[in-house]
Amino acid sequence: MLVYLSKRFLMTMLVIAVTSGIAFLLVHLSGDPAAAMAGEGASEADIEAVRATYGFDRPLYVQYLDWVGRILTGDLGRSTYLRADVTDVLARHVPVTATLGLCALTFALALSIPLGVIAALRPNTLIDRFALWVAVAGQALPSFLFALGLMYLFGVYFRLLPISGNETWWHFIMPSIALGYYATPAIMRLTRSGMLDVMQSDHVRTARAYGLAPWRVVVRHGLRHAIIPVVSLAAVQLGFMLGGSIVIETIFSLKGIGYLAWESIQRADIEVIQAILLVIAAAYAVLTLLADLLNAALDPRIRIS
Amino acid sequence: MNNMTTSAQDGAPVSLSPGRIALRRAFRHGGFWIGGTIILAIILIAIFAPLLTPYDPSVQSLSKGFVPPVWAKDGSWLHPLGTDNLGRDYLARLLYGARISLGLALLTVIISGTIGTAMGITAGYWGGWPDMIINFFITVRLTLPVVLVALVVVALIGSSLWLLILVIGLLLWDRFAIVVRSATQQLAQREYITSARAIGSSTPRILFREILPNITGPLVVVASIEIAHAILLEAALSFLGLGVQPPDVSWGLMVAEAKAQLLFRPWMIAIPGAALVLLIFAINLVGDALRDVTTPEGKA
Repeated sequence: MLVYLSKRFLMTMLVIAVTSGIAFLLVHLSGDPAAAMAGEGASEADIEAVRATYGFDRPLYVQYLDWVGRILTGDLGRSTYLRADVTDVLARHVPVTATLGLCALTFALALSIPLGVIAALRPNTLIDRFALWVAVAGQALPSFLFALGLMYLFGVYFRLLPISGNETWWHFIMPSIALGYYATPAIMRLTRSGMLDVMQSDHVRTARAYGLAPWRVVVRHGLRHAIIPVVSLAAVQLGFMLGGSIVIETIFSLKGIGYLAWESIQRADIEVIQAILLVIAAAYAVLTLLADLLNAALDPRIRIS
Repeated sequence: MNNMTTSAQDGAPVSLSPGRIALRRAFRHGGFWIGGTIILAIILIAIFAPLLTPYDPSVQSLSKGFVPPVWAKDGSWLHPLGTDNLGRDYLARLLYGARISLGLALLTVIISGTIGTAMGITAGYWGGWPDMIINFFITVRLTLPVVLVALVVVALIGSSLWLLILVIGLLLWDRFAIVVRSATQQLAQREYITSARAIGSSTPRILFREILPNITGPLVVVASIEIAHAILLEAALSFLGLGVQPPDVSWGLMVAEAKAQLLFRPWMIAIPGAALVLLIFAINLVGDALRDVTTPEGKA
């Protein structure tokens, strides 16, 4: 277990290191950061001055090592547009996205696990077909359209929920549904196939033969096994949501890191952009690591192989 | 294997090639027909858009802004779907919009499919350290958030159609690589590959004549998934204002431009939105049908 653990941990660190390089290169090779910083209409001399002040005239690898060195001391750089430390700016925006991600995941699990279980208990019936259609329709609907549809229905037509901002819990309801919906097909399918397998296994038949209450057989003896792979899928899906929240956050003006990223891209605030790229990639890498570890802890067969 | 295709001409039904069996099954599959018909219709619309509408999708006429669609009280057949805020005919924009959505998706999938297939075959056939390196690349690629990376590159370099195609193509190869890798791994241990090696076939010959034709099934299925993925990604980028730029028109861009009309003219979002959903839905139907017919245990 210790070997497996340290191997996976090292791999994750390596992935984060490489992604940090890619994030840095993307931002520095895609445009001239000095020109972006100096703003439109700046003269050649001004751009030169900015280049010298911020050290953009040094070789790329020196700049990269400098950036990484500062990150390791907890300094993510300084936003030229907001005139604030990137670390402080992120600290303000990360909780919003974290809340959104967790609410969305809760919604996705609350919808997909019961649907998956019911679909597996009654395979090829109306309810199974319905669950499958929810999954297929979900894959065809772009997230921004779904979000706008929710907005129209609950914000404009029924006037039940606020359509922008993140001041109260009410503001998180629609964004969470819009974001979480896209995790439901995968979770539902995995729950369904897991339940189909486990309900035919010997120990479930034995439990039935003992005369246990049907719901007890399903929950205690069936779902408990089928849920193992779902746990790690949920962690990976949470990582996807962090990356995908940019569209949803922009539509609902939810001031999380997705919204911050979109704003920073518009104003070419490169220090913020590369920090966000790194943070989201690192969060995803850590979540997949967590998913693997959870799987190994829940299912001993993985540790041994 | 390739040599099986030739023997089918004697009229002996026993020796149909796997590809032809899959095709026969596909034509008996309901989802394949429905999805295929919708896709074909949209392709035809994209090609013959100039013949279907007298209007140019990007010509503005400010005096004719927000003409209501034909089903509204004072709508007319002159502009069946009305006009947008700049007086551009909405039907013309919808028809021409199909061109970008389809064309861009097709080109991006050619790029991502080539990259992913090359990586997957390399990793799956050789194993060992090429496999480890490529696996690492796949992990790194999955760690980077697609929408954000695409947004950053497009915003910093400056948005153009070709850049958009290149960026999306360079981002969406992961599923190709993963699926091709595992399919190749399974094939590489088959006896006919070993015998091909034993009779002295060159490596390119084995890869292109023995392995590639036999992984077309999963490859086509992944391609259908990724075409849908590319269309959705283009729509999302256009929606955020960093994808397709005017005077070009795409369905995602139409939704973005109509966003402000959510309150008073919701149909302006619903029309391009419905077109997008219909196209993705049709592609998914065909993709599911192809999965059914190419996997041996799928329904006949």
